[in-house]
Amino acid sequence: MRRTLRAAALRHLWRHPAQLALALLGLSLGVGTIVAVDIATASAERAFQLSLQAVNGAATHQLSAGPGGLDEQLYVRLRRAPLAPGHAAVPLAPLVLGYATLGERTLELIGIDPIASAGMSAGTAAADGLAGGADPRDWFLRPGAVVLPAAAAAQLHLARGAEFGLAIGGVRRSAYLAGIVDGAAWLDGVVLTDIAQAQEWLGAAGRLSRIDVRVPAGEAGRVALARLRALLPPAVEVHETRAQARETFAMTDAFTTNLKAMSLLALLVGTFLIYGAVSFAVLQRRTIIGVLRALGVTRAEVLRLVLGEALLLGLVGAACGGLLGLLIGRALLGLVSQTINDLYFVVAVSQVAVPATTLLKAIAVGLVTALAAALVPALEVSGATPQLGLARSVLEQRAQQVARRFVVAGVLFAALAAVLVGASGHSLLAGFAALFLLLLGVAAVTPAVLRVLALAGARVLARASAVGRLALLDVAGSLSRTGVAVAALGMALTAMIGVAVMVASFRESLREWLLQSMHADVYVSAPAPSGNIARRLDPEVVRRLLATPGVRAHSEARHAVVGSTRGPIALNALRLVPGSDGAFRLTEGEAGHAWAAFREGSILISEPLGWRLGLHPGQSLTLLTGDGARDFAIAGVYREYGNDRGEILMDLAAYRRHWHDAEIGGLGLYLSPGVSAGEIIPRLRAAAGTGQALLIRSNAEIRALSMSIFERTFIITRVLYWLAAGVAAIGLVSALLAWELERARQLALLRTLGVTPGGTALLILAQTVFMGLVALLAAVPAGILTALVLTQVINRRAFGWQIDLHLSVPQFSNALWLALAAAVAAALYPAWRSAHAPLARGLREE
Amino acid sequence: MPPQRRRFPLAVLALLALPAGAAPPVDPEGALGRAAVAGFARAEGTHAFAFPQDHGPHEPFRQEWWYFTGHLQAPGGERFGFEVTFFRFALAPPGSTPAPVGASAWRTREIYMAHFAVTDVAGRRFEFAQKLSRAALDLAGATAPPLRVWVDDWALTAEAGEPLRWHVRARQPRYALQLDLESQGAPVLNGTGGLSVKSAQAGAASWYYSLPRLTARGTLSRDGVPLEVAGTAWFDHEWGSSALSTRQSGWDWFAFQLDDGSTFMFYALRDRDGRRDPHSAGTFVDAAGAVRPLATDEVELQPTGSWTSADGVRYPAGWQVRVPALALDLAARPVLADQELRTRPRYWEGAVQVQGTRGGAPAGGRGYVELVGYAQERCPEAGTGAHRCVAR
Repeated sequence: MRRTLRAAALRHLWRHPAQLALALLGLSLGVGTIVAVDIATASAERAFQLSLQAVNGAATHQLSAGPGGLDEQLYVRLRRAPLAPGHAAVPLAPLVLGYATLGERTLELIGIDPIASAGMSAGTAAADGLAGGADPRDWFLRPGAVVLPAAAAAQLHLARGAEFGLAIGGVRRSAYLAGIVDGAAWLDGVVLTDIAQAQEWLGAAGRLSRIDVRVPAGEAGRVALARLRALLPPAVEVHETRAQARETFAMTDAFTTNLKAMSLLALLVGTFLIYGAVSFAVLQRRTIIGVLRALGVTRAEVLRLVLGEALLLGLVGAACGGLLGLLIGRALLGLVSQTINDLYFVVAVSQVAVPATTLLKAIAVGLVTALAAALVPALEVSGATPQLGLARSVLEQRAQQVARRFVVAGVLFAALAAVLVGASGHSLLAGFAALFLLLLGVAAVTPAVLRVLALAGARVLARASAVGRLALLDVAGSLSRTGVAVAALGMALTAMIGVAVMVASFRESLREWLLQSMHADVYVSAPAPSGNIARRLDPEVVRRLLATPGVRAHSEARHAVVGSTRGPIALNALRLVPGSDGAFRLTEGEAGHAWAAFREGSILISEPLGWRLGLHPGQSLTLLTGDGARDFAIAGVYREYGNDRGEILMDLAAYRRHWHDAEIGGLGLYLSPGVSAGEIIPRLRAAAGTGQALLIRSNAEIRALSMSIFERTFIITRVLYWLAAGVAAIGLVSALLAWELERARQLALLRTLGVTPGGTALLILAQTVFMGLVALLAAVPAGILTALVLTQVINRRAFGWQIDLHLSVPQFSNALWLALAAAVAAALYPAWRSAHAPLARGLREE
Repeated sequence: MPPQRRRFPLAVLALLALPAGAAPPVDPEGALGRAAVAGFARAEGTHAFAFPQDHGPHEPFRQEWWYFTGHLQAPGGERFGFEVTFFRFALAPPGSTPAPVGASAWRTREIYMAHFAVTDVAGRRFEFAQKLSRAALDLAGATAPPLRVWVDDWALTAEAGEPLRWHVRARQPRYALQLDLESQGAPVLNGTGGLSVKSAQAGAASWYYSLPRLTARGTLSRDGVPLEVAGTAWFDHEWGSSALSTRQSGWDWFAFQLDDGSTFMFYALRDRDGRRDPHSAGTFVDAAGAVRPLATDEVELQPTGSWTSADGVRYPAGWQVRVPALALDLAARPVLADQELRTRPRYWEGAVQVQGTRGGAPAGGRGYVELVGYAQERCPEAGTGAHRCVAR
């Protein structure tokens, strides 16, 4: 009997390949999106970890100091000090870090002492890397000698011995390719050079960016660390390498959580698809299952059969999804690493890392999704009285009851979401949970909305068109089919609208902020990532720039990353032009008092920082200055979208006092009346000369650039939401396809009653378009609600910034097009078929 | 050494192993090729040795080393052997690479290496450590006068005075050594007037003198417990710019301090075919200080045993040394079998006990033996295997 059952099940699936394929596609896309996001983020993280290991992989700790780095004499002193018990050597390796631009690419410039690095970690990249062929005489003596990883050298068409140009801190330098490192574990985005060369290129003579340390494990290590700390000046920090790496990568947590939530959405939509496919498969067999039950097949056997099918579907879907995920993951990787580079740190991802857990996760997710989706129809079919089977009418009656219950559930979901948001404080995860509840609520309410609207439509159409009325009544009467499809589409459209509104609102807030915050007409900066010691302007160049006719006033800025008791924090030290306080919109703290305190040495903090660390005006923050730890009073909180980790604003004079760093990283130039940025910029470039290639840009240019970076960081969001929408569209197509095909007899009957082939096609199209529009109708208010959650809850919790909601019609256009496209796509084949199928066959079907 | 791919920084380390009494192994196509030597001074002709100036560095030459070996005794009778050496290796002659404007203090054209080994005879322990550094900032270097040669906190210094007072300081996890030394005689010039010729090639030679007997007194700390120690040491100082010829594969170096006050030094250069190279040579100094050079055919060397390291490198261990012209017949036996420095490259440098006859009368003493070039031949020529071989 069991064999008969199984054979019946398999044959059924086999005879409906299109339906099977669509269900599989939906599940694969859902699973694939999850796998892809997993792979992309894991690869980025792996690349980041490799980049740390590449230099001094065996290092256990890192010594670092504020913006100016460490005094190199500290390294000499430590080398001579008996650090470990019994005076075992504690390997130390100095590093000078910066960035170099090679063509279009920004590479991390790593200055090492190969002898010290080899002593630190024989067998890791620094030691192995140089084994790649640099002649020691070239490495130590030849000006400009560098070693590049094989991948980068190949990409740039550079062979060993090649001479080429590098831009470092905006200054063009001649480099000589002394060696090429190969090896899979190696990084793509690194230029290695001698520490002396790095100091010279970066203008950092006497300074080190970092000293890596390797202390032994256990007690000896603790003693060594204690001795080490006793020798360090107060401004020097000791970090555990692994913790440091974790912390640094944790900067991207909010970003990766967002990605994962979006991939979950695609799967959620996929779940509806499986539900649709499995319940359809069950429905089609309601007669045979009824007969089987009458013949003595038990409830449990039927349940097993249906769940077994789902399991098989889940397995195949997970396998396909895994493969699809690999493909999408590769594509996504570029976007993810681009975003990380734009927002957080430079990481070059050259390898796709597929964590073992990802594939297990794919299988588990595929199975669970398929089983969960199949559970309801399986219980239904196994629970039905044998004889009735699941007569269509019985089922639809039940579907209507279910739809009513779902309305209650939907309202409950929404209420729960509201409670969750209210009660969960800062939790991003709870924010996403609320978002999902909201989306589920929308999905739950949609079938009832569809029924009500369809019945209402039918009443309106009653007089105008009998066929039209029939079409809508049909939609209302087949809620088990149509409800699910519209719910899935509605959910996807809701997410789409929500994201579109959120992105647009964010864009608008950013634009306003940029307009408000950029008071100067022209901005000058050294081209290096912010917070790096290399980002400095040559004082002579500054003098020449300021002497350029047309420059009326100027502000000065120094960007640094400073240590604090709460981890490293970006610091923006400014000497403001009088009257330009308005560039900063205070969201907490009274402006008059805050700015007075600022000039006295208090700090202002950006919204994201205040949110992340829970800081408010009146509190203080302990920063590691050049003279050791010192408390700074917080005078206010200001709006800022430039850095999602937040930053500190400090008066430049106060910064110089505490950090003994007289460098300037950027200038804001205010022009005399009648002088335009366009005409003065060429003059400024000429005045700057060719020594240092500076970034000299008008505020309009910077605004445009900021906006383009903004758009770039949201590409990935769009991609994921389109994937979710794609899954939903496929869901609609497959559900409607199934439904329309199921109704072949009814349509054939209409034809015999004189409806033309065009007429039935139109009927089908009208039905699908109607459903698409209902989904859209439900999605518009739900989407705006979602946007509110995204801007006020998710973004606030992830990054701490507040975004004002901006609504406009174009934000909804994509959703409209998607709804219509899905509706038309769903109608095409059934319409063609009903028009061309021989009537007799259609009539015979039942 | 077989032709091998140039590797860095391992190649530098290979070149840096420049033990006493001989020149570094050649890398025919590498950094030590003829081109590399261009610009460096060559050891040839005559040199008017002047001390203490010549104890200091000779920068125009490519490589140089200061080499202390010796035997110490603690009050309880415990015996120790020690080796403290400093190597200087220049990548370019002075003045050949003008420093760039705004030059970093890390710019260098020299690399220093130092080895410190202790043979704890009673504890049956041999421990060694190595330090490596560029000669930049104050990390490593050599200056004179007064003489100071150092890598990190390991240092060799000499205080002006008559006689010169030497100080040696080095430490590793289990042993730390601090010694004051005084030479019991004037410097002994090896070879011809201090010119030690290593092969038939022109300029393949070095300037080489020894202080074959110094009294040493100081502290040896073992596991944190200081021991007052005293004994005798041997000092070699050698500099040059040449390498071994391609036919030569390594050397065996012997330095004996006999109880009758005489000292014997001989280096046997080995050719690839295993035979002794005709440029092998030595010096005998009698108790009165009379110096007698030894030609290769005057010295018979017969290994009497062998020792194989855990990973299969086989060294001779124990020798019968005969110098018929001096009626010298000595058996040298390592005080400990494993005195191998598993550095780059690996070599065996250990304390030996000497027993035999001189002129028919019983004679004995202590010595140090250095065996170089036994390990490298085992390395594959290329690929990661070679890397592992040279790295470990």
